[in-house]
Amino acid sequence: MTIPRLVPAVTENPHATDGLRAEVRAFLAEHRAKGALDAAIDTWLTGWDEDFTRALAARGWLGMTVPTEYGGHGRSFVERFAVTEELLAAGAPVAAHWTADRQIVPSLLKYGSEIQKRKFLPAIARGECFFAIGMSEPDSGSDLASVATKAVRVEGGWSITGAKVWTSGAHRADAFICLARTAPVDPAHRHDGLSQFLVDLRAPGVDIRPIISMSRAHHFNEVVLDEVFVADDMVFGTIGNGWQQVTSELGFERSGPERFLSTFALLAETAEHMGSGAVTRHTDLGRLTARVAALHQMSSAVAGALEREEPAADTAAAVVKVLGTTTEGDIADFADLLTDADSPAPYRALTDDAVRQRPGFTLRGGTNEVLRGVIARGLGMR
Amino acid sequence: MNATTAVDRDLSDMMSAVFARYREQHPPEKVATWDDGLWSALTDLGLTRLTGSEATGGSGAGWTEAAELLRAAATHGVRVPLAEHDLLACRLLDDAGLPVDEERRTVCVLDRTGTARGVPWAEEADRVVTVWRADGNYLVADVATAELRITGGVNTAGEPRDTVTADLAQLTGIAVPDTAIEQLWLRGALARGLQVCAALDRILELSVTHASERVQFGRPLAKFQAVQTLVADIAAQASLARAATEAALAAAIRTDWRGPELDFLVAVARSCAGHAASVVVRNAHQVHGAMGTTLEHRLHEFTGAALAWRSEFGSVGFWDDKLTTAALAAGRDGLWPLITA
Repeated sequence: MTIPRLVPAVTENPHATDGLRAEVRAFLAEHRAKGALDAAIDTWLTGWDEDFTRALAARGWLGMTVPTEYGGHGRSFVERFAVTEELLAAGAPVAAHWTADRQIVPSLLKYGSEIQKRKFLPAIARGECFFAIGMSEPDSGSDLASVATKAVRVEGGWSITGAKVWTSGAHRADAFICLARTAPVDPAHRHDGLSQFLVDLRAPGVDIRPIISMSRAHHFNEVVLDEVFVADDMVFGTIGNGWQQVTSELGFERSGPERFLSTFALLAETAEHMGSGAVTRHTDLGRLTARVAALHQMSSAVAGALEREEPAADTAAAVVKVLGTTTEGDIADFADLLTDADSPAPYRALTDDAVRQRPGFTLRGGTNEVLRGVIARGLGMR
Repeated sequence: MNATTAVDRDLSDMMSAVFARYREQHPPEKVATWDDGLWSALTDLGLTRLTGSEATGGSGAGWTEAAELLRAAATHGVRVPLAEHDLLACRLLDDAGLPVDEERRTVCVLDRTGTARGVPWAEEADRVVTVWRADGNYLVADVATAELRITGGVNTAGEPRDTVTADLAQLTGIAVPDTAIEQLWLRGALARGLQVCAALDRILELSVTHASERVQFGRPLAKFQAVQTLVADIAAQASLARAATEAALAAAIRTDWRGPELDFLVAVARSCAGHAASVVVRNAHQVHGAMGTTLEHRLHEFTGAALAWRSEFGSVGFWDDKLTTAALAAGRDGLWPLITA
């Protein structure tokens, strides 16, 4: 037997985006010089900074792949990828627009109605509309087919009742995309009967309750929906097609540079302190640098495949996420093993942040254990 | 099309068929020998000097085709010094402006005492393209094997890895720039990286096949989640090694081995492929159970080879150390630019 390659071939010339990368680096250097940018950990979850988001929008770096007729910039997914990598590697605060720009944009372009595209895309590109995701539920975890939130047909739309959890940024976002059951569970076809809705998070019946992380920070929420009305024009995609739509979103959610760069600022800081002799030389610095470089190459290759809408991109995305999130965690652990109370205080603080955020890396967007199942399916073992 | 997959389909099928047929008819020996029959068959097909210029009897192909040739040989477990002869020895003769002919060659770099260890296939070569340092220069000579003292050795893949000793006072050579020898080293390192990746891919294939066919506790091994996890990690690691190695290969082709980023990219490839081999070999043997540890089963042809090759042209630790030095030189602000170089 011959196994089909799980990850698409690397790009032949990775330097096509060098000019764009240089622009972003200059922009970041400017912000750093003003004291408006401190490298931090896991900034696509924790770094909510609407001023920074609007500054990015002003440079045309939000909604990059949105066609100009919808207020975007008509650039390629590969160009967007380069900008995102630069921002994450610098530990820039990108959480405010993260979900909208990463996931909602490609979904709207693929499944959104004309009304929805006109309503949301220009606002996302201006950095004025923030989104959250309503997939997981208290009893569902990685098992999305088990969602129990119900949408019931009512006059002129749907009425949604249920609870979503781990909804990052819902307390600051304008809307979320909610996966709900529009037909009862059929045990033989668990993926059927699911649909997606664009829900206004300020609508009557929406109750947003904070879930405080062990770092004492507030990023996650529980969103309780009590007969929340969603008009027909905010049904997302096709009723009953929710599973397929969600799966296509997950390719974007799993393969991006945020899956290997959440702790990159710490790796760079480690190189700095090892160079100055503040921490002991260890060749894991080289090993981890190599892994990040290879993940950069692999993740770029998947970005190309997503742009071309290649079907195998799901398995490839799972490969990137499993390897990438493990590496992010290994970087946190590496720095933690090298440091103690005598280490430079800001470096130790960054390490502590990374160690606290680490458990989340291999969970969100499907646990690594579930994703190994996705890879096994790609190999024909399931 | 990608540089590493753009090989003409007929050419790659032909390469695969030659090695598959050869391996079927020739079970591996304890120590591989330079098989005259295979070598002349490969020569007739234009494969032994695949990248040599047509003016000197080569096939004029590039590294894309060379990579495919190494992949095909490694995939079928055929041990033959194609990289050593064509990509290293004959290419270095070209670089030094020395003539190339039909004789079988390998390459070695002597230390100050005139000794080189782990030289591939030296005992069975006709000539050894020999490199040494004198008066601040690298010198190259095309030395007949009979003029060298050679002690046979072997790596864990069963390939000859010999010790070569020469009397430095008796050697005369042509001076080449340092970059020629740096490139020789990088070419050897990338060739081994490509071979490791091919072995890892074959190990993945064997593991999926075995897990799907072997029934235990009433169902195929492939249906056990624990086994799926082992194989998924094999696949992930092999994919990462391949991505890194293809990126280095693409850069080598794009810059004709002159790009300043090559050093880093080859080191990345070798680090990733080397560490991947640890996981892949361990998991594959676990999936195969005791039968995978036998001489009769083919698994060892690939696990043994992956481990042997990852330690040649620089150990995994050597490459990690080189990358560490590069990362320290780059520092906080230079690390990301280094990675995207």
